[in-house]
Amino acid sequence: MPHARSLYGTALRLTRNPQDAEDLLQETLLRAYRGFASYRPGTNVRAWLFTILHRVRTDVLRKRGRSPQTTELADDGPAVNPEHESRLTAGNEDVQRALAEVPEVFRSALVLRDIEEFSYEEIAGILGVPVGTVMSRIHRGRAHLRRLLAGRTP
Amino acid sequence: MSCEPEKVTALVDGALPGRERDRLAAHLADCSGCREQAEAERAVHERLRLLTLPEMPPGLDTRLRARLAERRPSPSGRFAVFALPLAAALLLALWARGLAPVVAWELSHDHAHCYGYAEPPARVRSADPAVVSGWFSGQGTPMPNLPAQVGDTRLFGARYCYLPDISAVPHVYYTGGSRPLSIFVLPHAARFDDGYRTLSGGRAVALLHVDHTVVGVVGENAADVDTAVQRLRADPETRRALVVAQALIP
Repeated sequence: MPHARSLYGTALRLTRNPQDAEDLLQETLLRAYRGFASYRPGTNVRAWLFTILHRVRTDVLRKRGRSPQTTELADDGPAVNPEHESRLTAGNEDVQRALAEVPEVFRSALVLRDIEEFSYEEIAGILGVPVGTVMSRIHRGRAHLRRLLAGRTP
Repeated sequence: MSCEPEKVTALVDGALPGRERDRLAAHLADCSGCREQAEAERAVHERLRLLTLPEMPPGLDTRLRARLAERRPSPSGRFAVFALPLAAALLLALWARGLAPVVAWELSHDHAHCYGYAEPPARVRSADPAVVSGWFSGQGTPMPNLPAQVGDTRLFGARYCYLPDISAVPHVYYTGGSRPLSIFVLPHAARFDDGYRTLSGGRAVALLHVDHTVVGVVGENAADVDTAVQRLRADPETRRALVVAQALIP
């Protein structure tokens, strides 16, 4: 399955738990099988699969009585001092760990943009929100991540 | 103008329309704070982009395949020989490299093999595209709205055939006219230039992209194949089904 690995990567970054990621991926693929009529010809089949993945994730959170939208940053705060940031020599693992601490509402936008490299328009379609919201979430997600990488409490 | 931090984010991502981009770029030239933000965001973007993709846990691929294609037919007959690890690895390598002539030869060979019987060995036999599509959907490959007719041939039925990449490839039969025709949906790993055409084993073969999908057409002569190619390119419903089928073929 050509897209399974990148879908799994995103599922793992969203759920932060291998078992939940596996369930999410499996449900996504099953739903894609059953719902192939919702695919629009000429559009990106990969974006379509990620849209399904995010819908499944939203449904799971709703069932658990949570919503990825409910976690908000208390304070967007000032930008990280670039001197502090430039001194960071965090490797792969530190970035992974910091990313996992970003609230999911921002993390999902960051993953789609910075890791999966979707455009703002594609992300808007995948998450079902306006492009302006995508911009705002990426902005706040990166700000959050920068603070985490700089070792500050967000 | 005052600072617009969210717009700086969009600028970094190349997501601003031309005029706004120019306006903001001019602001950045005068504002060290926004410049620093842009640089820091680029650095974050780059670090995330370079993260290694997590490995799938061992066995997950197998579990997914089992779940998604529980009723997939098992390899048998002459294609069973390709289950041999060495031969499979070699032929898979050829497929992955996209050697169009090798694949064309395989499709031509499979076409001849299936039409070598008194009638093609269809697992689903119907002239109704909905019935054939329904059968593939039941097997785990969504593929509705096949053409009922291509040129003077009519849909006869279909089955999965086993090609050297060891995946099940939908093979759809068209008969009843003067000459039989085959349509194959090829796995995603097959990469070919659109519109590849050749004569292989005395038959005409075309490999074409239908949106992001690779479809193989085999006919007894070039004119038959041309007709089928035009038919496939023209039908949006067929195109949709083929794209999804290929994204999901286990």
